[in-house]
Amino acid sequence: MKRQSRAGSRLLIGLMFLFLYAPIVLLIIFSFNAGDSSAVWKGFSLHWYTKLFQNRLIMESVYTTLLVSLLATAIATVAGTFAAIGLYSLGRRRREALLTVNNIPMMNADIVTGVSLCLFFVAFFQGWGAFARWFNSIQSAVVLPDRLVLGFTTLLLAHISFNIPYVILNVAPKLRQMDRNLMDAAQDLGCTWMQAFWKVMLPEIKPGIVSGALIAFTMSIDDFIISYFTAGSASSTLAMAIYGMTKKRVTPEVNAISTLLFLSVLALLVISNVKEARQESRDRRGIVRRPSALDRLRQKLAEPRFRWVRRGAAGALACAFLASVAFLSHATGSRPVVNVCSWGEYIDEDLIIQFEEATGIRVNYQTAESNEALYSLLKSGGADYDVVVPSDYMIGRLIAEDMLEPLDYSQIPNFSLIDDRFKNLSYDPDNRYTVPYTWGTLGIIYNTEMVDEEITSWGALYDGKYAGNVLLINNSRDALGEALMYLGYSVNTTDPAEIRQAYELVADANRRGVFQGRVMDEVFQKMEGGNAAIATYYAGDYLSMVDNQADGVDLAFVVPEEGSNWFVDAMCVLKDAPHYDAAMEWINFIASTEANLANMDYIWYASPNRVALEQYPAYYEELYGEELDPEVYEIMAAPPETLERCEAYVNLPAETLNLYNTLWTQLGID
Amino acid sequence: MKSKLSWFAVPYVGWMALMVVIPILIMVVYAFTTADFEGTTENFSEMGLYASVFVRSFRLALIATLVCLLIGYPVSYWMAREGPGFQRLAMALIMLPMWMNFLLRTYSWMSILENNGLLNQFFRAIGLLDLLGVEYIPMIGTPGAVVLGMVYNYLPFMILPIYSVILKLDGSLLEAARDLGADSGRVFRKVILPLSLPGVLSGVTMVFVPSVSTFAISRLLGGGAQMMLGDLIEQQFLGGAYDPHLGAAISMVMMVIVVVCMVVMNRFGEGEGEAVLL
Repeated sequence: MKRQSRAGSRLLIGLMFLFLYAPIVLLIIFSFNAGDSSAVWKGFSLHWYTKLFQNRLIMESVYTTLLVSLLATAIATVAGTFAAIGLYSLGRRRREALLTVNNIPMMNADIVTGVSLCLFFVAFFQGWGAFARWFNSIQSAVVLPDRLVLGFTTLLLAHISFNIPYVILNVAPKLRQMDRNLMDAAQDLGCTWMQAFWKVMLPEIKPGIVSGALIAFTMSIDDFIISYFTAGSASSTLAMAIYGMTKKRVTPEVNAISTLLFLSVLALLVISNVKEARQESRDRRGIVRRPSALDRLRQKLAEPRFRWVRRGAAGALACAFLASVAFLSHATGSRPVVNVCSWGEYIDEDLIIQFEEATGIRVNYQTAESNEALYSLLKSGGADYDVVVPSDYMIGRLIAEDMLEPLDYSQIPNFSLIDDRFKNLSYDPDNRYTVPYTWGTLGIIYNTEMVDEEITSWGALYDGKYAGNVLLINNSRDALGEALMYLGYSVNTTDPAEIRQAYELVADANRRGVFQGRVMDEVFQKMEGGNAAIATYYAGDYLSMVDNQADGVDLAFVVPEEGSNWFVDAMCVLKDAPHYDAAMEWINFIASTEANLANMDYIWYASPNRVALEQYPAYYEELYGEELDPEVYEIMAAPPETLERCEAYVNLPAETLNLYNTLWTQLGID
Repeated sequence: MKSKLSWFAVPYVGWMALMVVIPILIMVVYAFTTADFEGTTENFSEMGLYASVFVRSFRLALIATLVCLLIGYPVSYWMAREGPGFQRLAMALIMLPMWMNFLLRTYSWMSILENNGLLNQFFRAIGLLDLLGVEYIPMIGTPGAVVLGMVYNYLPFMILPIYSVILKLDGSLLEAARDLGADSGRVFRKVILPLSLPGVLSGVTMVFVPSVSTFAISRLLGGGAQMMLGDLIEQQFLGGAYDPHLGAAISMVMMVIVVVCMVVMNRFGEGEGEAVLL
């Protein structure tokens, strides 16, 4: 009877694990995918694992993640344990008050914690800057740095601060269970206070400390938002790198690195489990293991006369650690650097290495999630990037708000290679701030297996013929822009009536259940897998979808007859950029024909470099030994007659932006 | 000796003041100011617009918490009855998924739940779809999918505290209850359940709080149509609707509601004033 009930419960526990692990198994399987997709299987390959180790961005972010998580966990565990002990010797009333404050970080949305910490750090840095300048002016013996920026230290502090509560919460119950008289008894029996602490209290609360450390470590590894706002421009964690990819495609490389991390943790757990299980069965059978050499050494060291050896060793270890951290930060700090913030999967990474080898300038390449996320980070003062690569309308906004530094075009001779079509555009009419990076068009992507006509109009999004299978693009500018174009208005209209009319068109379709969902990069997975019939996205991304479409899916792309948006992403330099000259070198390098060809081949977005654009078909043929399909080239780099129909976005006045936001939020609420 | 130990709390109090209280104060300042830092309560009056988002978030988070409890309690209870080897392994396996980035795991759920996804393909293969006469069973984009995402992500936080409380139950209490004639159902109701309540309360907190403020889950699994508080806040800070002041105000209201809920719940929890998280 008893046995039977246990089998039943084990079955249910097993089902729960199936639920927990099904998606993970899937993730691991797709790390071996030959295609770029995380949803459509294209055959087995180890390709992503080999690529992974060449991918410096991911490897560096893994290193940062592990380092910050380990350090933060170690510090938070020690600090949290002592704090918990301290809290438990306070009176009950005070303890409760403090524990409530302790819980606050967990009750707060991560993003609020992240933003407020960022604001706090920035305010502190400003105060410090003022103090340092004053201090440096009254004496000359010590020179304090007067410009502090977000970086690894602030990232670490933030992680420590959200880890400590978890440690306390895990240690606290053990302290509550512990008999308070134990410590007194130990001391009555002749222990010093220190000995009582080490020999009585610590072993008693050890399980709590271990599980607290484990949870803290896991939280650190998984955190994105708090890191994003506190890491500044010099370091990025793996989670940040993954989120940075969501403007484009999340590549299976991150599946591969996650698989490796996951398996190594699994291996560690299995080893420690097996070890403990063995120990336990030995204990049960009463077998006493003969002490090994290591054990004897440990015992010997534990003797009081070796106390100084122990302390010295601990001190030496700590010093060595501090020295190595200082050395690392010095080593990376002494080389000239340039801080670049772009989008994930938006550069052929070989270019970074080539640039570093050619110039000796180190590139800190970070990624942001979207134009808006970048804007908010810049606005809160949390970044000291030199070069950013926003889209046209955001550049207009940055210029309008005086956040960009004019470029020194005498240092960017390659600017002359940029096609005149991409100079002096509306967001930067005198072309003082920007060098274009890529350009492309927005269009309709549809699955010809599900749509049996040729789509030529934006109307296909709204007419309800494909109800439940249409994906609306999840950003207000594009989604309402499409409706504006369908209605024959300008995408840059500021007339509230026109915008409201466009909104009504979208909202009405939404109410009728036309849209399956609102998507950004999820569009890849949905369209490639044949989960939706129609979506709107960018031309370059369409090409990468075609590469990865599943059997029974046949995608087509069209720039609708009513016209569309064409966009430019351009490199700009932020106001007061700390490495202005290095930034000029980087921009000049990326504007070169070779870099543009490499990028065009890697990301499928058209190049603004006249020569590269012309040469690309030949470059492709040389590289792959086959001719580039002219249709593909035409989609990539829309011909002039298509571009004539298209309009670029310009920065809208504040009240129009507000209207967009209100309406967009409204759509989510309806 | 007591006083000596309590000195340990001092650096921590200082640290908290710096890293927790001051940032919260900054947030409060934001909530009560406009973009030019002039005092205003407009951010709060504007919030009426979003009442439905508040309602939806709290409702879905509540459902997710209940589901977690319904799965988590029995699992913890059964686990606590198993041998130490099984327990250790199970605990490790419960923590392990968090080592995969949460965004990746949620993406993975997308490909399972899609209209043409694994589950629907499975249903098609076993003939269930033909039986029902539909092309696919819509799962993605529904509130159910969002709840599933929350349960998936936060279930470990329910299991851990309940399990550790049940594990520590004094076995002699159960024996005593049985000796005094209680059948197993009664032992559970009258002894185990009340004694495990602190674990349940902390589990509920640890699931409910992140569920209410979650973001991205609703975007990925809810098709963007099930906007939640986390998404609303995220939009104010990271999205096109950049308005940190409104975002701070929404967060503040959410925090206050959550804190009030927790306080009320903890009062119910047999008046044991101790913070029962974990």
